[in-house]
Amino acid sequence: MMKKILISGMVIAGLSSVAYSDVKIGNPMARTGPIPELVKPMSAAVDLAVEHVNDQGGLFSDGQKYVAVKVDSACDPVAAVDAVTKLVNVEVVTGIVGPVCSGATIAQAESVSIPAGVVTLSVSASSPAISEMENGTDLVFRTAASDAYQGIALAELAMSKGIKDIAVSYANDDYNAAIAAVFSKAFTSMGGKITGNEAHEPNKASYRSEVNTLGSGSDNLALFAYYGSSGITIMRNALETGAFENFIGADGMLAQEVIDQLGAENLGNVTFTTSASDSSTDAFKSWRKHADAAGVPASDPFVPNSYDAAFLMALAIEKVGSADRSKIAAALREVANGPGEKILPGEWKKAKEILASGGSIDYVGAAGPQDFDKNGDVAGLFSKNTVVDGKWKPVVIK
Amino acid sequence: MWESFWFEFINFYFIPGLVLGCIYALGAIGITLTFGILRFANFAHGEIMMTSSYLTWEFVLVASSFGLILHPIIGAIPASICAIILALIVDRLFYKPFRNSPTIMIVIASFGMMLIIRSMVQVIWGPNQITFVKGIAKPNPIIKDFTSSFDIMLLIPNKHIFILLGTIIIMLIFNYLLSSTKIGKGMRAVSDNPNLAEVSGINVENIVKATWVVGGFCAAAAGVFLAMDTQFIESTMGFRMLLPMFAAAILGGIGRPFGAVAGGLIIGLAEELSAYPWLGDGPVISPGYKSGVAFSIMVIMLIFRPSGLFRGRVF
Repeated sequence: MMKKILISGMVIAGLSSVAYSDVKIGNPMARTGPIPELVKPMSAAVDLAVEHVNDQGGLFSDGQKYVAVKVDSACDPVAAVDAVTKLVNVEVVTGIVGPVCSGATIAQAESVSIPAGVVTLSVSASSPAISEMENGTDLVFRTAASDAYQGIALAELAMSKGIKDIAVSYANDDYNAAIAAVFSKAFTSMGGKITGNEAHEPNKASYRSEVNTLGSGSDNLALFAYYGSSGITIMRNALETGAFENFIGADGMLAQEVIDQLGAENLGNVTFTTSASDSSTDAFKSWRKHADAAGVPASDPFVPNSYDAAFLMALAIEKVGSADRSKIAAALREVANGPGEKILPGEWKKAKEILASGGSIDYVGAAGPQDFDKNGDVAGLFSKNTVVDGKWKPVVIK
Repeated sequence: MWESFWFEFINFYFIPGLVLGCIYALGAIGITLTFGILRFANFAHGEIMMTSSYLTWEFVLVASSFGLILHPIIGAIPASICAIILALIVDRLFYKPFRNSPTIMIVIASFGMMLIIRSMVQVIWGPNQITFVKGIAKPNPIIKDFTSSFDIMLLIPNKHIFILLGTIIIMLIFNYLLSSTKIGKGMRAVSDNPNLAEVSGINVENIVKATWVVGGFCAAAAGVFLAMDTQFIESTMGFRMLLPMFAAAILGGIGRPFGAVAGGLIIGLAEELSAYPWLGDGPVISPGYKSGVAFSIMVIMLIFRPSGLFRGRVF
């Protein structure tokens, strides 16, 4: 795989000065770092979208090849800036599909892609800070819903479970601090009481004093952390001492590792939310058919979002009619928001024909309708996940 | 009021602080010994801890494939032997050539060893977390029932009993070794003054080897106890403990093993107790800043009493 990428990268680099037969987009993703297992299927979904475009006629009237140049953003702001700088300046990409993590997305957008006038279409960055970071440039989009929505969904979930008071513990980073703030505000406005709200430092051997300081006020804990750096240890310490009975949290905690380490029998009162797709829509059914055929796990977190992003970017480029970076943002809105003929995942040929005849389209994505608002955000659905038979079982919150 | 004060204080702040302190103390012994006898800060010490916990996990896993369910403490015995051998090999190949060079070279060498050992562990076992012991450790019911009849219910999980008892036993052996055996007296002599020790007929090279054996064993014990407490292992677990262990060694006085033990317990207790609501309802210092407590103690100590509590070496 890597060899293939390297070779195709070299071939592209060799060709780019001679013939413009390919249209390149950048695809930075956290291929190494704290979440490689999550990213693998997301990357495969991008490949699938590229394959669909190329198999069904490619880009423009002369069938140019759609190429995603893969680099590693490592879920790290510094690595993302380096990787995207290379994409923008050396590979001269038309747009960027990725990165994965919020911190990396913000950093690369602020220091590279926005100054260069290149559209970033993130596949999973969910920090609320991304909504209003563009300063009027309209260059940052995402196919995953903002945590501003997930925080509220989580507060509603807590209310529906009859939780009236709750303690909040969050890891002190961009993503977790932001969603904790949204949750606290929403929960308070719904009439709930936050009994304690403390940041914790990740990567400590013990969180017993944190847990017990918070535990004196409430039996319920809203935990915002990455499972690997502090989440599991906090839950373990809380369960050992019986400081908390009910736990809620967001996607940073949703990993099989949590069940493997703590034991399913101890996790009866645990609910975590994550972004989800409504599997009853025609768009999702179409996506599932293609994904199953290609061996891509259709319902995994942010996998349909990744497909949508790569497919939407191709539609926008087709709409523009050339690899002109400056026109992508406007075209992206037109193909995603409509009005126009509905296009489902995998229907590249149909979309291409409509666009060629001067018609307009409205892409309906695998992960949701994918209509961008003024901040380049999409609305999203969330699922609540509980442990059933030793696995996380998602139920979409309607 | 008082009843609940003691219950909360002892179970949720004091005992966890003591457990953390024991782990710091065992790790700090190795650091202070190498610092005292070889005169350099061994950055690779945390990685010896980490490697021995991985080895313990591997031994337990291999034994279970033969149908033997081993307690991690049993698995730790072959693992600590491997850790000692690792420490000796590292010393022979990478530290000995620098023995007469400026200290900074051997410090950098140890820093390099830290990265090399960690990378090797990542190559062998992968960079992901591994579950060391599955499940939740509930408080020991016998102690709970027994103590609750005296109105001070103690909630101590078995793993903490193992850690506390294990540390006490290792300390007693260590005390005997240092104060009553020839090799221990030699270690203390070299630590006090290496030149004087050499002219009085002590084989310094043998003492160095003994230092690695003792330091490696304590590191292995600290690593396994840490893994037993957190119940997972990952490749930076030793490195994360390194700075508080240095703080403990400096607090106790460089080259003073019992100082390191006292320093470890003080740092561990200070970290946990700083979050206790001493004044009013809220924690005195937000638990998010508790690692700052360890370093404040270290910095204050370095400024006002650089020799440490037990009058160690000043560099």
